[in-house]
Amino acid sequence: MAIDLSDEIVQDFLVEAGEILELLNEQAVDLETSPDDSDLLNAVFRGFHTIKGGAGFLAMDNLVHVAHKCEDIFDLLRQGERKIDANLMDTVLNVLDVLNDMFDQIRIGEDPDAAPADLMNKLTILADKNGVIESAAPAAAGEATSEVPAQSDDITEKEFDEIVDALSGNDTSIDKPVTQIEAKEGDITEEEFESLLDDLHGSGGSPTSSDTAPVLEEKAVTKIERKEGDITEEEFDKLLDDIHGKGKHSNASVSETDKEVTAEAPAEAPKESKVKTEPVVAKEPEKAKNLVAPAKESKPKAKAPPTAESTVRVETSTLDSIMNLVGELVLIRNRMSNLEETIGDEEMTKTAASLDVITSDLQTVVLKTRMQPIKKIFGKFPRVVRDLARSLGREINLEMFGEETDLDKNLVEALADPLVHLVRNAVDHGIEMPDVRESNGKDRQGTLKLGAKQEGDHVLITISDDGAGMDPEVLRSKAVEKGMMDADAAARLDDRECFELIFSAGFSTKAEVSDVSGRGVGMDVVKTRISQLNGIVEIDSAYGEGTTLSIKLPLTLAIMPTLMVILGKQIFALPLVNVKEIMDFDACDMNVVDGQDVLVVRGRALPIFNLSNWLVANSGFDAESKSPGHVVIVNVGTQQVGLLVDHLIGQEEVVIKPLGSNLQGTKGLAGATITGDGRIALILDLPSLIGHYASRY
Amino acid sequence: MNIRVLIVDDSIFYQHRLQEVLDSDPAIEVIGIAHNGRQAIEKAQSLKPDVITMDVEMPVMDGISAVRAIMNDCPTPVLMISSSTKRGANATFEAMDAGALDFLTKDFHEIVENREQMGKEICNKVISIAKKSARKKNNYSTDSSTTTATRAVKKKLHNYDILAVGASTGGPVAVQQVLKKLPQNFPLPIIVIQHMPKTFTPMFSERLNQMCAITVKQAENGDVLFPGCAYIAPGGLQTIVKKKGQEVVLDISEGDLSLNYKPSVDVTYRSLAGAYPSKVLAVILTGMGSDGCEGARELKQGGSEVWAQDESSSVVYGMPMAVAKAGLADEIMSLDQIAATLAMGV
Repeated sequence: MAIDLSDEIVQDFLVEAGEILELLNEQAVDLETSPDDSDLLNAVFRGFHTIKGGAGFLAMDNLVHVAHKCEDIFDLLRQGERKIDANLMDTVLNVLDVLNDMFDQIRIGEDPDAAPADLMNKLTILADKNGVIESAAPAAAGEATSEVPAQSDDITEKEFDEIVDALSGNDTSIDKPVTQIEAKEGDITEEEFESLLDDLHGSGGSPTSSDTAPVLEEKAVTKIERKEGDITEEEFDKLLDDIHGKGKHSNASVSETDKEVTAEAPAEAPKESKVKTEPVVAKEPEKAKNLVAPAKESKPKAKAPPTAESTVRVETSTLDSIMNLVGELVLIRNRMSNLEETIGDEEMTKTAASLDVITSDLQTVVLKTRMQPIKKIFGKFPRVVRDLARSLGREINLEMFGEETDLDKNLVEALADPLVHLVRNAVDHGIEMPDVRESNGKDRQGTLKLGAKQEGDHVLITISDDGAGMDPEVLRSKAVEKGMMDADAAARLDDRECFELIFSAGFSTKAEVSDVSGRGVGMDVVKTRISQLNGIVEIDSAYGEGTTLSIKLPLTLAIMPTLMVILGKQIFALPLVNVKEIMDFDACDMNVVDGQDVLVVRGRALPIFNLSNWLVANSGFDAESKSPGHVVIVNVGTQQVGLLVDHLIGQEEVVIKPLGSNLQGTKGLAGATITGDGRIALILDLPSLIGHYASRY
Repeated sequence: MNIRVLIVDDSIFYQHRLQEVLDSDPAIEVIGIAHNGRQAIEKAQSLKPDVITMDVEMPVMDGISAVRAIMNDCPTPVLMISSSTKRGANATFEAMDAGALDFLTKDFHEIVENREQMGKEICNKVISIAKKSARKKNNYSTDSSTTTATRAVKKKLHNYDILAVGASTGGPVAVQQVLKKLPQNFPLPIIVIQHMPKTFTPMFSERLNQMCAITVKQAENGDVLFPGCAYIAPGGLQTIVKKKGQEVVLDISEGDLSLNYKPSVDVTYRSLAGAYPSKVLAVILTGMGSDGCEGARELKQGGSEVWAQDESSSVVYGMPMAVAKAGLADEIMSLDQIAATLAMGV
């Protein structure tokens, strides 16, 4: 553990450089569309520059090397000495991935590993204003080698190792770096692989065994570059010249380089073997200590974005406890207004009113401290869409709006994966291939719109594409084919219900499973995740015109608007987000279909359940004899369901308290809360409740 | 009264590091932070700091443009915080041209390994330039007091075999001012020892070569000295002259690693005293500390001539003061006078 995470300097670096890195992801994608934007080029240059600076300060050499090379490349770009092309962008984006990994390592207190050698190679070439990746033999050949063990039938991995051994004079320590490289190559992304293949073919010959010897020399050189962070560009170039420029392979220089490799490898081999790294590691803490010289108390980790100097770092757990206390205050406030209604004293009313206002304000302010712009997630999408579109051959224009919309930090974090999945889906399933679009009279370029806006106490996120849309007929037959329902049932589904089918587990309409989507897991997971966040997903589609997904989420998870109802003598809270409408119960509208009570609402039959049967002991429900109750119609998954309750109390904001250990995990219960009159109310988790008790739904 | 400093840097990381370092010195007080050049100009006007530390690469407005604007609106001593790269060197020289007084390189490994000393160096630099009123570009008074100049002209240059110039803080601009005035047919070889990191001296030489009538190059090991050519001692190394038969050649090496300055004026001056007894015209220009004083003493003992820059034209009156106080200076002149006298002596 070379990095002291409690060091304020490290934290400073992580916060700032982390943000820069996120920004770089966006900026890099923007650059591809507007490569001549000098402000943008400058900004990217500065980004790498700052990362390099901080990393240098903290002696994170591997990070410095990569950032430094990128800085050089962007310096050439901004001075117009090099032009942006797809190849360069691929490399730069690849760098960002590597940097992200490095940051992940730093965040867990590890020294970042060195960047893959082939990447450093490419960067070195790009940082030279005359370097060209495609034609540059070193890069292409170097990559070819990396691929050999995995891809070529001509040389087995073992043979390859043997050759390397032979070259390196059987020194075993050489194995380490080689395997290291292979391991790294294993992480190769599809895109990288494609570009590698391109390079291979482009360089005019596949690496057969006859090419092995020169290729291996490349390997040796590559290794040096990777293992010896200190090698300068000139030295490296010279080495390349030695080996290549003179047209024949000078054995002397090769064996010399090998010597260097073997000498360096044990010391540098990153964390493969603890024993070996120890000497290196041992030094690091000392360095780190030096850094802490003006010793300050270690400050808590901070996620809060650094803005002006007027900010203070607060631990998120502190915010959580403030939120909890405010929650308690809200409960007291509820209690107070309840008391005030019963006592009705004028002074009391006034006080209660002020308390009410102040509590609401306090709640808003505290919520705000936990808010983060949804840009944190949206910021990833230009890159995601760009990469996907490139690998799938789509042409896509991504439009985003409402990125500044704020959401509770926890929600932002929890929403990231589902959203990425939905966006990938839209690119993969939604938007057609450019040729198909053209033949359908559409623009070759598809449009994907990603938006967020606040609507009252909810946030609405929409993902809409102008792609192929969904054909309800196809969905129906698919559902039948998958044995999810019979043909009659399928025929009865209206279009919207058909669309909702895609949220069912194991439902994928794509004929072949691609890497991106179509495994049939995912949409159901997305749906589940969003319901866990007390949110709902809706889908709308017009065949041939596109699909829109809307996600409705509460602003925060800590305080939940609910509808309070009474069953028997007990109070229950239904999350308001599920509630669609409330109506008086009229037994005349009740029917029994297929053994299930249904209620006909505006000509439509909805299944109806009496909640008391499930939740209240000895309720002995008898619809006929009971005094007229109320029906609460709720959205659960793709269904609407009526729930019969005895009395309605009204809408109340509640603070969710976890259930005691005895009740933990009880199906259908989300938690408990204290009501205005001091009683305890259980908060229902409707999807799980209905899933459990009315299993056919 | 405390020296009030405005930090200009777009990186919060560096803002904090600089602030920590500066706050650790009781004589210094950080009174503000600007995130870019534009803010720097505004805050320079509203806060009236005594010193500004200025980053180069910043959004909205870069450090060089900011220095230009600040020198125009409300001249303030500026310490450039540069990266120790070729690009950084270029930017630094431009900033100094625009009026920045001194620079400091973000040489990370040095900071990591020797944080306390680096911190002290930053503080010292800030303190040393704080007293100086910043100047507008090229507004050195051209009132070269003719009397001194004429008097000095009499000391004909042909009395000497070599001109040596030593400088530190404020030196890059001062050396430039002097060398620019010299005609192409300047009769002596010139050896310049300017305290500077090794990544900066090549750019410094290249830049001067473009600006000056005389040839300027970075000194290389084994160089034979020619008249009309200035040799800039490379950073990180020691440059001495050695007699090799009839010829005098430059010998450049790591030298004594314990020396504070690389290159060191003392080291070079001592070797000059040995190689050219009584034939050296040595000039000590602006700079912190007292490097050059011991070398000047040996030169004087051998019968050579020593000039020192005067207090008012020095950015930091340290090195020239040491020489003057030790009674080693034959002449104490303003920078303009030095340049004019040398040019007129041809």
